[in-house]
Formats: sequence, structure tokens, C-alpha cells
Amino acid sequence: MAILVNKQSRVMVQGITGGAGKFHTERMLAYGTKIIGGTSPGKGGSRIFDQPVFDTVAECIKETGADTSVIFLPAPAVKEACIEAIRAGIKFLVVIPEHIPIHDMLWVRKEAQAHGATVIGGNTAGIITPGESNLGIMPEIAFSAGRVGTVSRSGSITYYVADTLSRTGYGQTTCVGLGGDPVLGSTFNEILWKFEQDEKTKAVVMCGEIGGVYEEKAGDIIQKMKTPVLVMIGGVFAPPGKRMGHAGAIVEGAMGSAKEKLTALAAAGAHPCRTFKDIPETLKKLGV
Amino acid sequence: MRLYEFEGKDLFRKFKIPVSNGQVVSSPSEAEAAAAQFGGSVVLKAQVLTGGRGKAGGIKLVSSPAEAKTTAESLLKLQIKGFPVERILVEPKLAIKKEFYIGVTIDRANYKIVVIASGEGGVDIEETAVKHPDKIVRHSLGVEEDLFAYDALTIAKKIGIPQELIKEASTIIVGLFRLFRKYDAKMAEINPLVLTEDGKLIAADSRISLDDDALFRHPELAQMGIEKRHEEGELTPRERQATEWGIPYLDLDGDIGMFPGGAGFGIMGNDFIQYFGGKPANFMDSGGGPTPERLAQMLVLLDDNPQVKAIFGARFGGISRCDDFARGVVMFLKNHGLSKPMVVRMTGNMWEEGLKIFADAKNESPQLFAKIEFHGIETPIEEISKRAVELARHEGGR
Repeated sequence: MAILVNKQSRVMVQGITGGAGKFHTERMLAYGTKIIGGTSPGKGGSRIFDQPVFDTVAECIKETGADTSVIFLPAPAVKEACIEAIRAGIKFLVVIPEHIPIHDMLWVRKEAQAHGATVIGGNTAGIITPGESNLGIMPEIAFSAGRVGTVSRSGSITYYVADTLSRTGYGQTTCVGLGGDPVLGSTFNEILWKFEQDEKTKAVVMCGEIGGVYEEKAGDIIQKMKTPVLVMIGGVFAPPGKRMGHAGAIVEGAMGSAKEKLTALAAAGAHPCRTFKDIPETLKKLGV
Repeated sequence: MRLYEFEGKDLFRKFKIPVSNGQVVSSPSEAEAAAAQFGGSVVLKAQVLTGGRGKAGGIKLVSSPAEAKTTAESLLKLQIKGFPVERILVEPKLAIKKEFYIGVTIDRANYKIVVIASGEGGVDIEETAVKHPDKIVRHSLGVEEDLFAYDALTIAKKIGIPQELIKEASTIIVGLFRLFRKYDAKMAEINPLVLTEDGKLIAADSRISLDDDALFRHPELAQMGIEKRHEEGELTPRERQATEWGIPYLDLDGDIGMFPGGAGFGIMGNDFIQYFGGKPANFMDSGGGPTPERLAQMLVLLDDNPQVKAIFGARFGGISRCDDFARGVVMFLKNHGLSKPMVVRMTGNMWEEGLKIFADAKNESPQLFAKIEFHGIETPIEEISKRAVELARHEGGR
């Protein structure tokens, strides 16, 4: 078991013939990910790494049965690409590009909810179910199959956490990159709840950072979870960040600093960790 | 990206939001002339990209052109939270009867656009929100929804706009919402929306923040003189250099130069150094997929900083590949040279290629690598952090 992606996932790549798309498609295939094609408008009918290229997502789904898509496109093209994929029937979307306009992500989120699709990103390193499927840009060297789930805003933190887990004998069920952009396709809440429902996941490591509101909001879900949640928040010593004016303060209240996030999550029952090596030690104490 | 008050008001005019006839000046004599034109009794408002301007003495009421001139002279010498005052907005003085607040922003947790209004506008609006949440009206909308006039009328009534101005207030609220949508704003505020003694509504201040990532959609802003800008306060010379090179960089007061990969570990790596008793000299983010040139520039910033005693380097290659990382480091060693001890860990995508690049360069000129301690995946990052702290202590003790 795993969440969101496994070896049955039929994965397409939007932007499969572009520089980053090509480079990482080859890597994903080498890992064993079931990439079954991709899109590149105007290049329909050609092939790349022996996979068919289509002009539209609908054509790709019709011919290949794709249910999952990884997006490697310039940020201004992401909104339309996501909406196209969701309307064509893609159920899980991984949005790699960064700097996507915030209003665009609101549209993507609305479309995803209307069609029962899940989006992660933008600015995510992707998602990996070790030994089964690797979607995005994550380096396989860090990961091994096992019983701990991870969810993080940052790609590099995901790699360090997985690397630490792997070297201490804790493999991973699935590692999810939530993304670093200010408005994200999915929240910590939603991913944590998927881990809660996954039988194989015995603990979840959640890594957040200063800024935004997604970490604090996870407290409600952590309270309801039986699976233990370990939490790391980056930026404990960071100088106070920029403020978003009165309107931001009124809507988001006192949220945003690393200490506030840690306090809120610890109060909800999460286990705080300072550095990566605290993670296996905490897991041991919890009997995981 | 934050807009100046006068730029925000230019946008207000486009959306039929009433503002005063103002004039932007950049010299005392211009301020004098503008004051004369408005009848002498004017307000001088420093144009800076930060809040708390009034409390910092950036807003002055004067009653004659001569006084406008001397006041402008002192305002133009002022720095507000590191921002030098280069321009002043001169506007006729308003006879204020009451102040309202209208704002539009994004509720990120709920994926909504939210219109916020209050009958108690002014500088203490955030305090009002905490102490008297009942005095704040909120109206949430999906991204696909428009704000209808009847909704805006309801909001206007709830915050106590006088009946005879309800319709006009609703036009203002709808205008602000449309401006927010049209220009991809992160926040748009009228604070205060002033009710004058003679019964008019005027947007007395504007506060607008646009989404930098959506500026490509709005070339017309550049024609209005609104261009992408750096909105921090005063930058150190190194921060200015980094900004020119496109590197997110902040000077801190420690002695360990931080050369981490990615923003996530950029933030957390700084915590690690402090957990182990060290102090970072900077925060830096390489961004996704930096070129070797940029990586070399990042190292130049650290090596040239006299405050830096040792350099901490980390790369877990994802979209930022190890081969590019190694090329950047070698480029720096060859073109600039390393004068400080450096401990670095490299693993992740293309790490074998990265190792080969280092090995080849070291074979060619081993002396370039004299001050580098190199580690791969076998060494935990905590050990690298500790070692950087030791190196800085050792250097500092010399």
C-alpha cells in the first residue's frame, strides 16, 4: 500500500519534449515508473524514449489510459494545463514548476475539487512510492521502501528526511512534496488524512517552514489521527518575515512563525523534532 | 510587489474609486508650488514601500506653501524603516468625519478571495480585528465568483455607511474587488476610506500588493511606470550585489557562510548551525536548477565577506543537479579561489557525474582544493553542520 501513486499508476508527462520534461522523464522511466506517454502541443504523433507524444491530454488518455500527470511547463502555462488535464479525467496531478500566479492556483484548486482530482504543487519536487513509482525530480538515492510516510513543503528537506530514515532502517511508504509556493494544490491536512487511511503507514513525518497557514491548520487533523505524526519546522531562528498588510493579518491572525507552528502542532499531539537525527530516535521511542 | 500610494491611487481612478487630486513632488520647491495650487492647506505624505509611515513621522499637515517647502525639506531627508523618502504626495487637507476600512485579500487556507470591511478604519484596524471581531465584516468568494452590487451594498450597510452614500460605497467596494482581480493582487486596501464633513467618500490611502509571478499578464502597468521592484528596506552592499545577480540573499550577523541547496534547506540549515552552537553569516537560496555561473557567484559573495570564517556547503541534487553544482564550485575555485575553509556535502541526482568533475579538476590543480573538506551521502548533514561550526571557531581563534 501507499498513497496517491503506486506501480499501477499510469503516468503521463505534460511537456514531455521540453528540457526539464525530457531529462526527468528518462530518470522516472529508469526508476520503473509506468510512464505511458505525454503531451507536447504540435508534436502529436512523434515518440520520445519510445513513448507516444500527443497534442492534447484527452488524446493521451484515450490511447494510453493515463490517470496521473506530471507537469513540466513554464509557470504561465500551468493553469490551462492543469484544467485541461483535470477536465480530461486525470485524477492526480503533480505540478513541478515554481512561480505560478496565485490567482491561477485558486482556479486549479476549484477545478480539481469539482472533478474529485488531487493536485500537489506548484514548486514541488514531486512524489515517490519507493520501489514503485517516482514522479517529479526527487533523487532515488535517498529513498527505500518501508513503513513511514513523509510530507514536506520543501524538496531538499524531503531528501534529507528520507535519507536519514533509510540509513536508520526506516523505509518509506510514500514521500509527498507539498510544494513551496504560497498557494498549493493540496494542504498538509489532506495528505495527512490519506496517510491515516493507509494501513502500511505506521508514522508520518511532516516538515513545514515559516510563512503561510498550512502547518497550523494541520493541527485539527493530527488530533483525529491514530498514526503518530512527527513534525519539523524550518526557520526557528529566522528573522521575522515580511507582513502582508492589515488584510493578511486579519485573515491569517498570528499564524506564520516557526514557533507558533510548532506550538500549535505539539498541542495537537504531534512530536516535534529539531534535526533529522531526532526523527529515528523519536520513532524508536514511539515503538514504530 | 508593493505599490506606492500614488500608484495605487492611479489604479483606483481607473476603477472609479474617488481619490483626492494629488501631486507627486520630489523637491521642496515643487512641494511649495503644489501647496499653493491646492490653496495652502495640504497634507504631505512620504512615498515609501512600507507600513507605519504615519507613526514614523512620514505624514505632515501644513497650512501654507512656505511651510510645505520647509516640511518637504525635512521629509526628503527622512528614512522610514530603511526606505529613503524620495517622493512626496501633496494633497488637499480633508475634513474627516469618519474613517472606514475596505480590503480584499486571499484566504490561502480556504482558497477564497475575501472582502473585509469595517466601520472603524485607520491605523488600529488590526487591533480592532483581534479585540472586536464583530466590528469586522467578511465576505468570501470563490475565484470564479464576481462581487455583485447587492453584496457590496450589504457590506456598506453593515459597516455603517450613511444611507445617502450607500450606492456610492458599493461602487467603491466593487471597484476595489475588480481591481484586485484584474491586476492579480495579493492584497488591495483602502485605509482609511474617509467620510468628509461635507458628505463625500474619498479613498485617503491605498495599499496594494501585486503578485510578482503574474506581472507578465499586465504589460500596461509598465506603461504607467509600475515596474518590478525590490521591496525590501535598505540593502547592504552584498545584498544589493546578490539582488543584481538574482540570488535571494540576506546578511545575518554570524560567521558561517551558508551555501545550501534549495530554499527549504536554506532555512532549516540555518537552524541546524544554531542548534550546534554556531551563527550563520547569511541566508541564501539557490533557486531551482541554478546554473554553474550562479553557484560560483554565490560562493564569491561568501568568500569576499570578511565576516565569514568558514563556509558550509550542501547539495542534495533534485532539479538542481550535482554535476551543475560541481561545475559551479570548480568555476569558482578556478576564477576566484577559496580563501576560507569549507566543508561540503554533495549527493542526489547526477552525484557520480559531480564526483568525476571534482576528481578531474583536483587532478589538474590539487592546490585549488586545499581548503575543501568533501563529503558524500555517507556523512549525515548534522556532522557537516557541526564541522562548519568547528571550522569557524578554529579560524576565529587565530
